[in-house]
Amino acid sequence: MERRQDIALGLIFVGLGIAAAWMATSYSGAGGTYPMVLGVILTLLGGTVALRAVRKGANKARLLVDAPVKMITAVVIAAIYVTLVVPLGFYTSSFLLMLALPIALGFRQGIYALIVALVFMTVVYLVFSVLLEKPLPSEALAPLFGLGV
Amino acid sequence: MEFYTQALSNVLTFWPLIAMIGSTLLGVFIGALPGLNPVMAIALLLPLTYSMDPLVALGMVAGIYNGSMYGGAIPAILLRIPGTPASIATTFDGFPMADKGEASKALKIACWSSAVGGIVSAIALMTMGPLLARVTLFFGPAEYFWIAIFGMASVGVMVGSDPIKGIMAAVIGLLIGTMGIDSLSGQARFTFGQTWLLGGLDLIVVLVGLYALPPVLQLAEKCDLKGLSAAQLKLTNTPFNKGEIRGLIPTWIRSSGIGIGVGILPGAGGNIAAFLSYNAAKNASDDPDSFGKGNPQGVAAAECGNNADNAASMIPALALGIPGNVVAALVLSALTIHGLQPGPQLFHQNPTLVGGFMMEMLITSLLILLLGGAVATRVFAQFQRLPGVLLVPSILTLMCVGVYVINGRPVDLWVMLLAGVAGYFLEKVNVPLAPIILGMILGPMAEQSVRRALLISRGDATELLTRPISATLAVATVLVVAWPLIKAVRRKRAIATKSD
Repeated sequence: MERRQDIALGLIFVGLGIAAAWMATSYSGAGGTYPMVLGVILTLLGGTVALRAVRKGANKARLLVDAPVKMITAVVIAAIYVTLVVPLGFYTSSFLLMLALPIALGFRQGIYALIVALVFMTVVYLVFSVLLEKPLPSEALAPLFGLGV
Repeated sequence: MEFYTQALSNVLTFWPLIAMIGSTLLGVFIGALPGLNPVMAIALLLPLTYSMDPLVALGMVAGIYNGSMYGGAIPAILLRIPGTPASIATTFDGFPMADKGEASKALKIACWSSAVGGIVSAIALMTMGPLLARVTLFFGPAEYFWIAIFGMASVGVMVGSDPIKGIMAAVIGLLIGTMGIDSLSGQARFTFGQTWLLGGLDLIVVLVGLYALPPVLQLAEKCDLKGLSAAQLKLTNTPFNKGEIRGLIPTWIRSSGIGIGVGILPGAGGNIAAFLSYNAAKNASDDPDSFGKGNPQGVAAAECGNNADNAASMIPALALGIPGNVVAALVLSALTIHGLQPGPQLFHQNPTLVGGFMMEMLITSLLILLLGGAVATRVFAQFQRLPGVLLVPSILTLMCVGVYVINGRPVDLWVMLLAGVAGYFLEKVNVPLAPIILGMILGPMAEQSVRRALLISRGDATELLTRPISATLAVATVLVVAWPLIKAVRRKRAIATKSD
């Protein structure tokens, strides 16, 4: 329910505010006063949000996630991608992402996804590695093919 | 005048020109794809500009900003799907025009109106920016503190539907801004023993997460597996009637004025400018009932209004260092990336660069006329045939490369991911994201200013309120924060009077 969501939100911010203010007490001088004041203000604002929700919050819940399965799938695959970027290399992991994520979301035209992935990764390679010469995580598979990417 | 002549000659060189043309086209493309927005695009672009000439980098920002504001009109007119939030009002008359077989004409009107709005706004920036910067030469630390607080309070109160949550978001941003080594005392704050946090959280990393991941997750949720058909994107050429363009001039003048006014106000964005302009055009019309049924004046008002907001929002950003919206905040970040300190000194220390950027805002608005016509529109509209589900990994890849190249640290990718997921849920519970970013940008300035002011006054806090400008700014801040409360009380009284 919207009321419960706002109470939870308010309490989270109260917690963050108290934690920040408490941590700031260990900092000496003005360097500690400023974050402490901010922590106190955040606590008060969070408390206001929670109290307001208790007093007159709407009972109809906001929809937090429109399609939970799709959203969680996207987040989990994004997290796996971030984990694999360094060990596998940027281009390998990105190419796998370009294929895996659409399929996981229900896209069944594998050849279409493969063509888009190939074209997109070529453009990314030309822009970032060739034109802009940006250093990206190196490819684990490159030595197998005798490449130095 | 010499200032602008010099700036123009710097901008009209090979690389800045190429950057402007390429980024205006890219901007139209980004705006035309629902789910992508200029903030996301500029946030992804900034990390790549570290090694570029500042004028090239800023030219790209200007092109993407102006181009995408027009690009948003393409799906708004063809499909009644606003490409950007600022093009919502364009759907009101744009889609009915397309429905009547006048899509091509609606797109031409949108193109012309966007260009006119952008040009007038850029001229306002070029005239008002330096004047405002001159005034701020009288500012001391106390004034800067209040300017920063005023900017954040205004954005916090105005940007979302709930002012308390808006201010709460700004305070979160301020707290994030305190992370890392305190520049005045050298003390490490909120670093949790992590060496990578000693420099604080990188603004661009958090920004890419907050602004790029939520739309990506929404695209994944929508799960568009097909894209649009060729028939949905078919355009038939409809010529203008005699005097039709001339009839739009009063609407352009009115909407440009509204867009500039809204742009200068912190927190109010292009969508508000478009709605206000649309309503003003409807009120001024002899035939208000035709609005919403395919009146070209409606398209002209909305598009001119939202583009007139663009350069005007840079006036407080460049002159005061106070960004009025997130794109202005990104421009300030771009300046910081290139070692420049936003604020009044910018005009005095780097006139060529500031003047160049203002010229770039003007030129990219002109480029919309050349590059955003029906032919380009036809080309960009075709990208909407790509299934949305394929855009999800593409944007994630760009986010990853954009964030990784900033510091070359994998941990930044996790920060981006966490910020994005947090941003997704915060938006769902009506906590606006813009104040968080502004808090991160303005926080260090606010803290350093207040501590300097107190050092100068030997700890006397009344120094913050006794100077006329700082006192005025303090009162203005209180009024901005109290305004929603005053409105609520007045509404209650009005309801009570009615029921009596």
